[in-house]
Amino acid sequence: MSTDIEPRAARTSSVPSARTRPPVGWVLITLVGVAIVVRAADPADLPWLRNLMIVFGSLLVEAMPFILLGATVSAAIEVLVPATAFARIALLPRALQLPAAAAAGVAFPVCECGSVPVARRLAAKGLSPGAAVTFMLAAPIVNPVVVASTFVAYRGRDTLWLMVLGRLALGFVVAMTVGWVMGRLHAGELLRARAGSGGAHDGVGDEPRWRRFFGHLAGDMVFMTRFLIVGAALAAAIQTFVPRSMVDGLADLPVISLIAMMGLAFVMSLCSESDAFVAASFTAFGPASQLAFLVFGPMADLKLAALYAGSYRQGFVRTVIVVVGATTLVATLWIQVIWG
Amino acid sequence: MRPTDRRFSGIRVAAGLVLCAWAGLFWFLLASDRTSLYLSGRTAWLVPVGAVLATIAGIGRLASARVPHPEPLGARETWVLGGIVLPVVLLIALPPATLDSFAVRQRSASTGIGSSARIVDGPIDLVDVAAAQAVAEAEQALRARAGERVTLDGFVTQDPGEADRFRLTRFVITCCVADATISSVTVVDAPPGSFATDRWVRVTGPIYPLGGNVFVQAESVRQIEQPADPYLTP
Repeated sequence: MSTDIEPRAARTSSVPSARTRPPVGWVLITLVGVAIVVRAADPADLPWLRNLMIVFGSLLVEAMPFILLGATVSAAIEVLVPATAFARIALLPRALQLPAAAAAGVAFPVCECGSVPVARRLAAKGLSPGAAVTFMLAAPIVNPVVVASTFVAYRGRDTLWLMVLGRLALGFVVAMTVGWVMGRLHAGELLRARAGSGGAHDGVGDEPRWRRFFGHLAGDMVFMTRFLIVGAALAAAIQTFVPRSMVDGLADLPVISLIAMMGLAFVMSLCSESDAFVAASFTAFGPASQLAFLVFGPMADLKLAALYAGSYRQGFVRTVIVVVGATTLVATLWIQVIWG
Repeated sequence: MRPTDRRFSGIRVAAGLVLCAWAGLFWFLLASDRTSLYLSGRTAWLVPVGAVLATIAGIGRLASARVPHPEPLGARETWVLGGIVLPVVLLIALPPATLDSFAVRQRSASTGIGSSARIVDGPIDLVDVAAAQAVAEAEQALRARAGERVTLDGFVTQDPGEADRFRLTRFVITCCVADATISSVTVVDAPPGSFATDRWVRVTGPIYPLGGNVFVQAESVRQIEQPADPYLTP
């Protein structure tokens, strides 16, 4: 069991009284009521609501399978890989750990939602927090599927190799920079408290491996999904109510254009496997601005911010946004100076 | 510990049911052919993967729900789990819908009007048009085929002030609807005022790329049902 729902419940009285009886009936009535209202009112008559629900739904339908994949890998790591394996890696010098962690992302071809539970598990199992965060941030950019999609999106353009190689290189550099900043933390200082991962509350530590596997899988899923829902709802609302034209006038402004594209990537919360096609559509913006979009977005967006806030301690989201933003800005500024 | 000493844990059963609910959503999308309303053909595989994984996770959680010392399910936890099921209820209850002219207005200022590195060859479609508006090589290829007769399906977004012309639009998505970009052509010589905004039509006529715009001179404009795959994939 690894949700923080379950242990919290375990800390309460072991015999539920009538006063603490779960309001299952009320929850079910509410859900059925929502279904009836939605069906009867037909939000399709309201264009903004229809747009909001479509984008919200598409973000969830796309992200949930990746969360499931990530949670499956995470649960497998928990029950199959001994903690000593990661502890040994953690003894290596950071100068080796961080590049190795970033390079490990090449072998993890899922989008950013899937890498969050895996990185959290790696840190909990003893990998140094810096290396775990480096892996989490690099994997959505350096994996071969994303490299291929960037190639396809820019094929036929003069900036093809600048975008493909630039994104790959910046993905490594920015992820390792954040890992370096986080490097001095201990796992306890990085991870948000989620008791119960070892089954301390109901004896799951003594359970067979398959029971523990499903415990961790379900725990990670339930835990991550609620934050994903919040992030997807925010991203859908902004996509619905904030027109993209707001950034168009900034395309020719040095520095500002970079920040504008990073801001756009943050609120759009696109999957790293598709964002290159959207970046390529902003033809008024130069390659540096498009690179800023492609590097910043997979590491920091609304959807991810909600997942980070649920997984890591207070301040983590701020640190990631500041360090990723500053490093990306500096790097793309040089590219803007050289390539425009 | 004998199996008979175990009792169902409320929190585990609830978590298992939540996962089964999400599995139900993915199976529903598969059974009702609604995947294309949210995902592109390129990422449609995610729905069966999600269905299978969520089903296994849910059943596995339920199968491991009997424990020696069951934990109670608290009120707050019950509402949180209900909140996780809420999107499932919403997506199943909502009638099928696609992005329309409202989304076009929100995204219209996107300067590239969609993008693809596809080179124009074979029958011309709106993905080729999007490519021609973003990639010089594709633009030259489309220009070389100026005057060629095309048949394009899309929905109407009106061009204000011109009774005999409208914009024929289609969204191009790569992974999911959230990344939708716009591809559109201007249809001229259309029957005046016959086609309402958001109506799906099939336009046939010669195509003319002129500057940054692409025009189709309508020989016929026919109303059609919304296609099963309303979004294009580059």
